[in-house]
Amino acid sequence: MNTKTLALALATAATLAAADLKIPIERYTLKNGMRIVLSADNSAPVVAVYVIFGVGARSEEKGRTGFAHLFEHMMFQGSENAPKGVLDKLVEGNGGMLNGSTHPDFTDYFEVLPSNKLPVALWLEADRMRGLKITKENLDNQREAVKQERRLRMDNQPYVTAIIDNWPMLAYRNWGNSHSLIGSFEDLNAATVDDVARFFKTFYAPNNAVMVVAGDIQAAEAKKWIETYFADIPPQPQPKHPDLAEPAQTEARREVYKDKFAQVPAVVVGYTGTPKRRSPEYYAILMIDAILTGGESSRLYQGLVKGRQSAIQVEANLGWPFAGPADYREPAVYAINVVHKPNFTGAQLVAQVEEELGKLVKEGVPAAELERARTFLRAQRVGEMQSSYRRAGLLAQYELFDSNPDLVNTEMESLFAVTPAQVQAAAKKLFAPQRKNVLEIVPAPKAEGK
Amino acid sequence: MTHWIPIFAILLASALGAQAIDRTKPPETPPLAAYKLPPVAESTLANGLRVVMVEDRRFPLVTLRLAFSAGSKFDPTETSGLAETVSALLREGTSKRTSRQIAEELASLGANLNTTVSADNLVIGASVLAENAPKLLDLVADLARNASFPEDEIKLRKQNREQELIDARSRAETLAEEKFAALVYGSHPYGRILPTAESIARIDRAALVSYRDRLLVPNNAVLILIGALPPKDQALKLAASKFGDWAKKPLPTPPAAKFPEPKRTLVLVDRPGSVQADIRAGQIAVTRTNPDYFPLVVGNSILGGGSSSRMFLSIREEKGFAYDAHTELLPNKDASMFAAVTQVRNEVIGDAMETLLGELEGMGQAHVKAQELTDVKNYLNGTFVIRMETQNGLANQLSMTRTMGLPESYLEMYVTRIRSVEPEQIRNAAKKYFTPGDATIVVVGDAQKLAKPLEKFGAVIVEKSKP
Repeated sequence: MNTKTLALALATAATLAAADLKIPIERYTLKNGMRIVLSADNSAPVVAVYVIFGVGARSEEKGRTGFAHLFEHMMFQGSENAPKGVLDKLVEGNGGMLNGSTHPDFTDYFEVLPSNKLPVALWLEADRMRGLKITKENLDNQREAVKQERRLRMDNQPYVTAIIDNWPMLAYRNWGNSHSLIGSFEDLNAATVDDVARFFKTFYAPNNAVMVVAGDIQAAEAKKWIETYFADIPPQPQPKHPDLAEPAQTEARREVYKDKFAQVPAVVVGYTGTPKRRSPEYYAILMIDAILTGGESSRLYQGLVKGRQSAIQVEANLGWPFAGPADYREPAVYAINVVHKPNFTGAQLVAQVEEELGKLVKEGVPAAELERARTFLRAQRVGEMQSSYRRAGLLAQYELFDSNPDLVNTEMESLFAVTPAQVQAAAKKLFAPQRKNVLEIVPAPKAEGK
Repeated sequence: MTHWIPIFAILLASALGAQAIDRTKPPETPPLAAYKLPPVAESTLANGLRVVMVEDRRFPLVTLRLAFSAGSKFDPTETSGLAETVSALLREGTSKRTSRQIAEELASLGANLNTTVSADNLVIGASVLAENAPKLLDLVADLARNASFPEDEIKLRKQNREQELIDARSRAETLAEEKFAALVYGSHPYGRILPTAESIARIDRAALVSYRDRLLVPNNAVLILIGALPPKDQALKLAASKFGDWAKKPLPTPPAAKFPEPKRTLVLVDRPGSVQADIRAGQIAVTRTNPDYFPLVVGNSILGGGSSSRMFLSIREEKGFAYDAHTELLPNKDASMFAAVTQVRNEVIGDAMETLLGELEGMGQAHVKAQELTDVKNYLNGTFVIRMETQNGLANQLSMTRTMGLPESYLEMYVTRIRSVEPEQIRNAAKKYFTPGDATIVVVGDAQKLAKPLEKFGAVIVEKSKP
């Protein structure tokens, strides 16, 4: 093998990637331990404020499933100086939009506004971090909203209950990972005002938060507002991270779920024992994922949707269905979800997926195909950098999980450094038969649906 | 005298720094800045193809649209789904490239390509690493001009589409949208938001080729290029080299814009086992060029446009009936559709319907409050500016205005026109378009649980959902 040429080709690719984009980053910590990342881009009159807390559904305790998400709803129910309704009214009434979402390992809140309205968002975020208004009335009301959300997004939909409630129970053994992230009605009913207050104090302290302000800002001015509003919010003892360790999987698992709403069968195939975030093996799996499912030239699309004509739709992710590469934190599962034609069985689809994975394990990946996957990932990254909201989100996740927001500029180099040999080795390790989990979702006739 | 201005500024700045800021009140901020559209260069090739270009060097990226006035409204009734099948198959083979070659070339260029169909338009949309823009243009021209519709690809597409339709109709929201559009638009093609399995089965290669030849023609299209482009004359020359020798043709007439008069109707689509009732209530409304349109946009947003809208506050925050409560205004070229949408638990269906209809009625009774109006104008203004931040956002707006036949000033004037809407205009628009007495109401859910409590809202027509 001509290693010299290869090294040269890699260097060229990496240089190109670096020249693509340089997202400016200024990073500092307030005296209360709150981490701040500023990223100025004055080309469009838009600013995103993104506050992310290091707590998610995997920090929940037994008997309180769904609590992290219920709490997230409470963050929109009013604070010391911005009573219920004021947050939405001030953001939207100033031309912005806002939302929040709960993930396995973090919870995020954001506002995107026309840039001269930045101080309004900072004031609102500080006010709710300083003192949330927690009342029984608001809790009862949001409990109902969350139950409605569960009915809307899960209980009345095909596939979703199987994916959100059953898949983690199949793939994980540690309760922290396997419990329902949206929660049971029983546990939601059990949540008290005291639980909310305790959760707020423990996890929503400034030293457990990262705030990114990205877009059309003047850094000096932004810093002044941030200092004024946030710097004297008292810190709290650092919360403990839950022990999420999983035992190594020693034999394949399989479950069949009869879905009362699904009309078209689907199957999930996932592998446990995924590597440490940011390790060379992690980057190798991201390349594997691009090779398998990145666009219509990918192996699973060409192999299943086109070639065998068995699948209708294929998707996969490291951390599916709740996370992707940016917010992946081990332990997780690399899972492939296939919606397929009814004239094939779930077992046949699994065999076809395994055939494709086996080919990668046995034969590796040709250089040209790996290069195509690199270009695919590079284009994807450049595309998503256009919106200040997306930039802010990535910077926040990289600061929270890696203490290094500059990864947004440099991680492509780590991806491009992955060699065909590393791809093959990572595939061999990951796609071991004893690490396999299969969830077949089959349409159930109404009478026997569960 | 000039020197004291900077001094004054310094004094102000230090005052801001020194003064203990009152944290109990939100900070004062200046009003939203005026919106300025970036310079748009527009030309027309000899064959009628319009070329719209916007320079944007923020990212090494080029975004493209090739938009045709060739949406599903041109589908013959017996082969509804023809436009979407053409659209899906454009990337599945041309006289020069196989489906797989197209897929691999796109990935190698760092390009992402989608083809979409709406009631009015068929759009090829793509973005690409800037250095590969010329190659993408070559590929897109090939798809648009030389799509060959190979028989095996047609067969596969029809099989997959059959399953996708079964899947779509297993979802309550699809059933509600489908029934609602059919009632609001009547027999006009706007009323068919999804094809049937039977009509898909009837589509053959000849129909696809004929559709391509009649509607995918340069004088029916606009090409939009945004991004790190070559200098304008060079970019235009490049476009001409790919599309210039494409023959112009006479265009088919779109279906007549005839729609049924709005009439209070209540249809319950039975979905046994549903744990919620999906409600959709509204009616036909005017297009973007009608004087009522901007008052309607503002009124629609006050009623159900965000998390401070009236419906969100009453149905979700105050009563806890639903997670989602919003309104939609979906403007097609010849008519728009207004709908108030929510999904409530079965037990509260009666109260929820009453609340929803009450909110509709309320918009036509009293003037909206001054603060409410200011807030919503800011919201529409600000979110418009935010949408324009990305190349995709701008491309979608340019594509919309050009294919919908709107004046070139539409985007530049959008914010001004939102700002000029008066409370009386909103009330008048609400009386015309938000009237419960004229509303088409569709509920999708378990008829055993919902039929009875719905009776007090009028004669309930119960229909079976067909999977």
